Amino acid sequence: MPHHPLAPSQVERYARHIALSEIGLRGQHRLLQSRVLIVGLGALGSPAATYLAAAGVGTLGLIDHDEVRLANLQQQILHRTETVGSSKTDSAARTLASLNPEVRLEIHPRRLDRSNAMTLMEKYDVIVDGTDNFGSRYLLSDAAFFLKKPLVHGSIFRIEGQATVFLPGRGCYRCLYPEPPPPGLVGDAQDVGVLAPLAGIIGTIEAIETIKLVTGKGEPLVNRVLLHDALAMTFREIRYRRNPSCPVCGDHPRIRQLQDYNAFVGAVAR
Amino acid sequence: MSGERHHRQQILPEVGQAGQERLHRASVLIVGVGGLGSPVALYLAAAGVGRIGLLDDQRVELSNLQRQTLFVDADQGRPKVEAARDRLLAIDPSLPVEALRDTFRPANAAMLVSAYDLVIDGTDAFETKFLLNDAAILLGRPLVHGAVLQWSGQVTTVLPGGPCLRCLFGEPPDPGSVPSCEEAGILGAVTGIVGSVQAEEALKVLLGAGAPLQGRLWQHDGLRGDTRVIAFPKDPACPVCSAEPVITDLARYADQVSPRGHVLAQSR
Repeated sequence: MPHHPLAPSQVERYARHIALSEIGLRGQHRLLQSRVLIVGLGALGSPAATYLAAAGVGTLGLIDHDEVRLANLQQQILHRTETVGSSKTDSAARTLASLNPEVRLEIHPRRLDRSNAMTLMEKYDVIVDGTDNFGSRYLLSDAAFFLKKPLVHGSIFRIEGQATVFLPGRGCYRCLYPEPPPPGLVGDAQDVGVLAPLAGIIGTIEAIETIKLVTGKGEPLVNRVLLHDALAMTFREIRYRRNPSCPVCGDHPRIRQLQDYNAFVGAVAR
Repeated sequence: MSGERHHRQQILPEVGQAGQERLHRASVLIVGVGGLGSPVALYLAAAGVGRIGLLDDQRVELSNLQRQTLFVDADQGRPKVEAARDRLLAIDPSLPVEALRDTFRPANAAMLVSAYDLVIDGTDAFETKFLLNDAAILLGRPLVHGAVLQWSGQVTTVLPGGPCLRCLFGEPPDPGSVPSCEEAGILGAVTGIVGSVQAEEALKVLLGAGAPLQGRLWQHDGLRGDTRVIAFPKDPACPVCSAEPVITDLARYADQVSPRGHVLAQSR
């Protein structure tokens, strides 16, 4: 009696993972049992969700409030011309279900905000940040800390991208960026150019980091940010630590519940 | 060509309308439509590369789906190039995608490589990688090389004149000295990052923007989360890209290079 109850078709589907000593049957079983939430199904969420579904993550939660637009298709490989106009969650679910029918998909066609973040996020083991704005990044970081959930962060801006992993108590987005950039300095994502494969690189790194967290193998990008410049083709690593005076995860926290993030980043609600 | 579809790429100063038109006029051959070819094809199609050739003679198998993200469950048993073409047309129905159900070998290398502006190495056999390298140098076409194993991968871009794979590695490794992905395994997402780097390199070369990985090898270790770029020089005695090459003619390739990709000494 095998103690890892994988069906023969699963052993074949995931054969290249099972052959890896760090994964094996045990690690693949863990992936199949895991629950991962992807927040944002755009440029970063597309490759992250695609590779996590292919890898056999048992349950994928998908959050996005937007509809697919024609201008998304250049950088968001989950979506198709025929799904322009439908919700991104539906469009993504169709692609992911066709890719791997074994994955359970939980779709949340809504904007993650401070009223629903804790409830939506608490049901998952790992949270993946595929958002495109500072308000959402601070919201995810604070909520992940309060819920003691690992948060895989990725972001891109024009030709630059970065990725890191926040483990509760080992530093958060506020430790890295205590203050948001001045309002207006960074434009609305729709008006910022993007080189699509850069999103592929960063979103796929987010998938790899998630797989490492779920299987407990390798060295996740904790306390280090990977920075990539697509044009110069350079990768740099910057180390950071938990900030003892961080208002959320520091020694004397002042913020103990979710905030008004639109006000914090000075964004105009759309 | 839709301005709206490619809006967010076109507003990059490195692209612009001229760059977008350049991409629209460009052609890319993707040799090997598997783990690496999948993200390359998806991103180049999404970017609006004018003509994409897909070369592969295999059919989709269940064990491919863990990493070959062009394919869906229902594609099992179909020729990869046909399934891939359908997937790319779902992104952009106006794309001319050429499904070439064939292998890459000395007999068709010149015809294939000379018909495209740039070539992507998405293969998994060393002799094919070296044949691609030699064909790209001899025909003056840029080649974006990629390779993966287990949790690791690498990319370099070979531009006309070199340096090339033979400057970097000399000869292909001996058979059996490097395990195959089938034996040793491959983390699916590693093919995603390596293929995305290859797509990024291809766009830069086609656009003439930024610094491609010419004479530089990008290496990624996903398990440790380490990424590095190491520079390598042109080998003055390189058998293919030096001033006095030994590999000179694809029509005489069998006389000059062994089936395993090793240079045959007597060929000079």
